[in-house]
Amino acid sequence: MLNGLDIEGSSPLHRMPVRGKLLLLFVAAIGLFLLSDLRLLAPALLLAALVYLSTGIGLAEAFRRTRFVLFTVLLVAAMNWLVHSPLEALAVFCRLSALVLLAAAVTATTGISAFMDEIARLIAPLERFGFARAADVSLAVGLVIRFVPEIFARYQDIADAHRARGLPVRPLTTLAPLIILTLKDADTIAMAIDARGFRRH
Amino acid sequence: MTTRDIVLIALFTAITVVLGLLPPIPLGFIPVPITAQSLGPMLAGCILGARRGALAMLLMVLLVAIGLPVLSGGRGGLAILAGPGAGYIAGWIAGAFVCGLVAERFVRESQAERAQFVAFFAAAVIGGVGVVHLLGVPWLAHAGGLTLVDAAKASAAFLPGDLIKAFVAMLAGRAVLAGYPLLPQRA
Amino acid sequence: MDIVFTAATVSYAGRVALHPLDLTLGERRIGVVGLNGSGKTTMARLVNGLVKPTAGTVTVGGLDTVKDAEAARGRTGFIFQNPQHQMILPILAEDIAFGLKNRGLDKAEIAGRTEAILARFGISHLARRRVHELSGGETQLGAIASVLVTGPDFLILDEPTNQLDLKNRALIERTVAGLPEQVLVITHDLALLDTFDRVLVFHEGRLAADGRPAEAIRAYREVAAC
Repeated sequence: MLNGLDIEGSSPLHRMPVRGKLLLLFVAAIGLFLLSDLRLLAPALLLAALVYLSTGIGLAEAFRRTRFVLFTVLLVAAMNWLVHSPLEALAVFCRLSALVLLAAAVTATTGISAFMDEIARLIAPLERFGFARAADVSLAVGLVIRFVPEIFARYQDIADAHRARGLPVRPLTTLAPLIILTLKDADTIAMAIDARGFRRH
Repeated sequence: MTTRDIVLIALFTAITVVLGLLPPIPLGFIPVPITAQSLGPMLAGCILGARRGALAMLLMVLLVAIGLPVLSGGRGGLAILAGPGAGYIAGWIAGAFVCGLVAERFVRESQAERAQFVAFFAAAVIGGVGVVHLLGVPWLAHAGGLTLVDAAKASAAFLPGDLIKAFVAMLAGRAVLAGYPLLPQRA
Repeated sequence: MDIVFTAATVSYAGRVALHPLDLTLGERRIGVVGLNGSGKTTMARLVNGLVKPTAGTVTVGGLDTVKDAEAARGRTGFIFQNPQHQMILPILAEDIAFGLKNRGLDKAEIAGRTEAILARFGISHLARRRVHELSGGETQLGAIASVLVTGPDFLILDEPTNQLDLKNRALIERTVAGLPEQVLVITHDLALLDTFDRVLVFHEGRLAADGRPAEAIRAYREVAAC
């Protein structure tokens, strides 16, 4: 039910390792926030858009994915226009939009397992101090993806039961049973995990 | 961290994802309907407690970061975390933690229902609203080139909806406490 | 392989779930019946270490379930009643492979063993399927595959067909019948036990009867007064 947002392709970004992409994104973010000249920020936005499109995502999908965030950027820029100046507002718009598009490009070219491998590498030093365990993190991610469809189906059952009794389907009466029934399963699921010896101490 | 804790955390994150799939909750007097998903941090803190609640929200943010479309409307990916609202999302984690702290400290199963309601509402407001805005506003100001005051003013538009969310979270938190208590009790 | 209970007792907060039990299990097919709360599930969970004895010992192939917990558990596999609770990763093949990940095997070996176990149960075509799209019987088969991929000698199934419809029930029963591993099945389905070597009847925390299927089931009916 839950599919990653990465797309197939062989663009340069696709072939770049995860760590490299994240570092570049970080550097770009810092750079964008250090710049204030619209003559530099506007081309930066154009460049970011080109980078995003170079992933092969296509204009329609590119827009569909980012329109909500870009809308909030527009609102923030509009507020800026009101309290500061049009130039400032445009600078804010270009800066934030460029960052959003670059981030979207990284997401489009990086698969979930690539991210998880990188996370495992990053957590490895923490493991030695007993803070976190990479295996636990990937187990947790897997569990979420595994159970979202079941929980959604359970919500629909609860909603159907409401309708059958002529009750309106409201969060007040559907949330509590949904949460209780779902969390009650935790014990048996945990037992099944322990029975398979997944987590060795 | 017991296996049961990991499962509880993961299941709660999964619940939060499912909340994003539900239709928005219309409120007669406010033009913008509230998404069930935004109840996530408050519910996490009130039901699982500070530590597990915060980890459930952290797991949620991780899922967004690795590119899963788990936010309401099928949104996900680093673009969300790069936007001006990123502070609020970070606020989910800290907010769940503080909400949980207040709930653990002030809610007791032996209390009268009214006292539990008050405690859960306080937890939801302080953690789920207060802390979330505490982290959201400065980032909005910084990213948007606005003064803190202006950013706070913009944020304030969401307060009425947030208070209603806190109310719903209070009811749900109490109902779950009655049906399947998981909230750790902290002296 | 023998599983030996020596005065194994389990009690929780004043209630005795299992009175001191002395038992040696070595047969290939062992059935366990009893009313709910009779102690049968507690006994089964002592074998794979999910429950520790409050007194006495339980050994699996000579390994103590408390002192050599990890090693003892590695020799057994456990299948639960609800198929949904046992598959913990979204894609079937991933769930099966996950059991092998903590064992220091390389990717190729893990993939090989996963394919082999799927083929063994005739569910290779389900490898890339999402677990939540599988039928109850397919999920339970997947759970059996996930558990057996790590090579335990002894498989315990706790009411494995309770939540399955007739067709899926028959599928699981056929599969279990064909397993070369030693099997212990807790079940309410008495017809299943006809071909078993030994059937244990538990009642109120004690072993009430122990013998060939026909006699044991007769004793069970008496004890359950039906």
